[in-house]
Amino acid sequence: MSVSSRYLPQSHRLRLAVLAAVAISLFVPLVARLWYLQVIKETAFVERAADNTTETIIELAPRGRILDAKGRVLVDNRASILVTIDKEEMSTVAEDDLQDLFFDLATEISRSGNLTKVQEIESAYRSNRYGPFAEVPVVQDISEELQIYLAEYSYKFPGVNTTVTTVRDYPYGSLAAHILGYVGLLSEDEMPQVALKEKTYLANDEIGKSGIELFYEDALRGTPGTKVVTVDKFNNILEVNEEIPAKAGSDVQLTIDIDLQALAEQELARGLSIAKQQPTKFEEEGVVIFNAPAGAMVVMDPRDGSIVAMASYPTFDPELFVSGISNDDFDELTDPGNFLPLLNRAIQGTYPPGSTFKPFTAYAALDTGLIGSRGILSINDPFYDEGVFLIPSCEGGTCRFQNAGEAAYGDVDLRLALTYSSDVYFYNLAASFDILPGFDLESVQVAAKSFGYGSRTGVTLAGEGSGRIPTPASRRDAYRENPDAFLTGQWLTGDTLNTSIGQGDVLATPLQIVNSYSALVNGGTLYAPNLGQRILDPITGETQVEFAPRVLKEIFLPDAFSEPILEGLAAVTTWRSEIGTEGTAYNAFKDFPHEQWPVSGKTGTSEKQVENTLIADYGLFVGWGPNPDPEYVAVVVLEEAGFGGQVAAPVIRRYFETIALGRVPAFLSQAEKDEIAKEEAARLSLNPVTETENTNEENTTS
Amino acid sequence: MKTRRNRKNLNLNPTGDPWSPWLHVDIALVLSSIALAIIGAFMVYSATRGNDPESYDRAYLNRQLLFLVAGVVAMATAAYFPYRRIRDWVPAVFWGGMFLLLLVLTPLGVERNGTKAWFEFGSFQLQPSELCKIAYIFMLANYLERFNGRLDARQLGNGLLLGLIPIGLILLETDVGTALVFIAITMGMLLVAGAQTKHILVLTVVGIILSTLVWSSGVLQDYQQDRLTSFIDPASSQTEAAYQQTQAQIAIGSGGLTGQGFGQGQQTRGEFVPEQHTDFIFSVIGEEFGFVGSVIVLALFAIVMWRCMRTARKSPDLLGTLICCGVLTLFAFQMFQSVGMTLGIMPITGIPIPFVSYGGSSAISCFVGIGLVLNIHMRRYQVV
Repeated sequence: MSVSSRYLPQSHRLRLAVLAAVAISLFVPLVARLWYLQVIKETAFVERAADNTTETIIELAPRGRILDAKGRVLVDNRASILVTIDKEEMSTVAEDDLQDLFFDLATEISRSGNLTKVQEIESAYRSNRYGPFAEVPVVQDISEELQIYLAEYSYKFPGVNTTVTTVRDYPYGSLAAHILGYVGLLSEDEMPQVALKEKTYLANDEIGKSGIELFYEDALRGTPGTKVVTVDKFNNILEVNEEIPAKAGSDVQLTIDIDLQALAEQELARGLSIAKQQPTKFEEEGVVIFNAPAGAMVVMDPRDGSIVAMASYPTFDPELFVSGISNDDFDELTDPGNFLPLLNRAIQGTYPPGSTFKPFTAYAALDTGLIGSRGILSINDPFYDEGVFLIPSCEGGTCRFQNAGEAAYGDVDLRLALTYSSDVYFYNLAASFDILPGFDLESVQVAAKSFGYGSRTGVTLAGEGSGRIPTPASRRDAYRENPDAFLTGQWLTGDTLNTSIGQGDVLATPLQIVNSYSALVNGGTLYAPNLGQRILDPITGETQVEFAPRVLKEIFLPDAFSEPILEGLAAVTTWRSEIGTEGTAYNAFKDFPHEQWPVSGKTGTSEKQVENTLIADYGLFVGWGPNPDPEYVAVVVLEEAGFGGQVAAPVIRRYFETIALGRVPAFLSQAEKDEIAKEEAARLSLNPVTETENTNEENTTS
Repeated sequence: MKTRRNRKNLNLNPTGDPWSPWLHVDIALVLSSIALAIIGAFMVYSATRGNDPESYDRAYLNRQLLFLVAGVVAMATAAYFPYRRIRDWVPAVFWGGMFLLLLVLTPLGVERNGTKAWFEFGSFQLQPSELCKIAYIFMLANYLERFNGRLDARQLGNGLLLGLIPIGLILLETDVGTALVFIAITMGMLLVAGAQTKHILVLTVVGIILSTLVWSSGVLQDYQQDRLTSFIDPASSQTEAAYQQTQAQIAIGSGGLTGQGFGQGQQTRGEFVPEQHTDFIFSVIGEEFGFVGSVIVLALFAIVMWRCMRTARKSPDLLGTLICCGVLTLFAFQMFQSVGMTLGIMPITGIPIPFVSYGGSSAISCFVGIGLVLNIHMRRYQVV
């Protein structure tokens, strides 16, 4: 009956006490450590946990789309898979292995159909524009199969990742490429500028480089969003703590009509190819070949200054820029030997306007009163054109000027002088400005400038040329700068004569020409041409900004001035005298539906001296209709192509005729064409006859 | 005074009714151990439920609750048969356990994380080394009891030899952590069983020499060595072990004084700590319940140990005392080692926290240990 613990001797109690002491002592370091971690160091660990578990994700916002006047999408976005290199991760790869890695990567990418050189990958990786921790974009637009392959064999490609980005998509191919322009990676030069912009730019971002993409960059650009998220160890997002959503860029709607744009591009190209087939022109100096390598065409609505179509030839495929253009491709696009396909000749090409300039000389004569009460003759007074004009009391330089081919038109008044394009009539006017007291020697220049020549039109595109209207002062300056280019720094009467017919040093862009005629036919309102019509909300489609017509100025143009000029120009396409003298575009507009769609125009043929080699004439034509309230003014310039009446006027004729007859074809996107082809195929396959034919064919081939 | 109270207590079971021992169940021990297991189950849930509020994964919770129920049944069973009678079955159970330890080394056993310690039955795993702990404690107590509290060198050696059998087999599984648990149990029981101070000193010296030899002999794999040393300076090490400990400390540290709340631990939700539902479950407790919650859990362990020690002192015979000391040592060592490694003050050895960590074998083994202590406590007035 011993008591429970009585058996225990004293020594055992001691041993138990030792064990108990050891057990108790174990708690001391644990609690101390807990206190240290959770109370003393809490803040530091909270921060480290936050580092671990929260991440800020930048969400890229898609760029706005570009639409045509009817809302058809000219530039869209599509998803594209981008190969990137994680610089930090790849920096752990030994230099020797790096070469093999790049080689393998280039091989795999090329094999999947996206030809890529080792140097391209390497130079992207070594480029200084990215920090040491950056994800460097290497190759855009790889296939989904390759993306899967790279993920599967990621151990073979350390630091190589893929992400899905949005890139530009061109449903209509190269249509309107010069207007739309292209986007590219933000360059180092652009970084300081974009830093000042309202919307955030990141190192890998794309930015508009030319055309509408550049001009409306601020509207098109999306606002990137940020997302603060809680992630787990594997970077899966557990929850979103804070989100500023990405905002897609606004859509820009253009004044361009796809169908009329396509037609313009097509007719321009056709005009050039026809010009090339002309028989070579023999002249005393040698053989002149009609290369007809390039040209431009602009169609404008004179009622509000909006541009309906704008074409430049040769053109380019903006798709080339989507994956980041290769150096070879870019060199080709900027090679003068290829006639600079990237150049938008409609606004950047400057040409001597030739006879298309004459209406403005006529305007100068009317405005100054040279034709009229105080001048040398009235509007209806005939002037005898014998084909040659000699400068009275000539003091040097060329004194003898002549019509093209020394054609003598006999008695011509102002109207007929425009209809026949009599140089001599205008030489007479110009010489009178130069010689007669009380008249400003620069009257022609003043008139031309009031119609917008010599300065930029203010079109909503970057890189516009300003052309040139020569004056005695500008001649002096030019001579001082480059004495070799001129015989003398002095302004001679001959220079005034040349200027009056749009030759000499007169240069104008096709856009300036079309814009000046637009003012002439609309009663004197000179517009700054618009390409953008409105900015739209990308989601609701609501108009955010509407671009109203921009009136640059109202030119003093009473009916008394415009009527004789416009009448003379209306006859260009229709007049044929009893003795057989024709308006300069009479032939080109033969059998045109003049009754339904009265059309006027002015031809121009200009000479451009390039480093003393004789090259073929530039053919120009400006036309408008339907009169009396024209909806379209169109200009076409064909380089090295011959006479305006022969090569350029038919281009506008075909263009206007298609419009007049309501036969403008709907221009289809590639997707629409595919759809139609598919339907066609489906329709054919339903047809049993075709099916048997197919089988027969197969039998014969096998 | 004590004598008088004991005498009075003696009258509490005057009839010899077989159910009367149940009047003397140690409620505090039962409640604190079950409390630990319930907290553990909820921590397992927090660590494994995933992050989809629509459909949290309850699989681990359900199984852990099942283990808890099985553990409580096992505890009651272990308490039911008088421990002096169980003693007769102990050799059979012990050698059966040794056989299982041998069997697990054969292709029948399953390897996980480099350790071959499991049998697999469908979705359940059995870890024989866990169950052997209690069998070994009883077996060793059974052997040591007969020397009445004073061991000479030979008896001590025999005791050590007995211990070497499971320790050797478990080392063959390369389960260093569990082997250390057995060593701790052996040392604790030998101390109470009457090992002489000089022998203990010699053993300590031999132990240190042996450890050094093993360390430098290259028997341990690099990753094993790394696990054992990386806690000293985890920042310098790039290994999984160092990462695990660093992440666990971030979790615990960010819990602060009162924790982030149940289910709110960012580290836990992100599953940054590998094995956060098993060996590293203390990181979940630390993060979600903070310093206060951690100390409460430790306090529950203190209560369990205190009740074991109390029973050891009240045991009517040396067998009971030795069993209680063995169980106490088991809990104390495992708790300290496992929480310590989570806190970064002990090397990583991969052993679970008793009652709290996910795992059926461990839960059952721990509750059987509690059951034996209860058994002794209940029968502390019965005549030997």
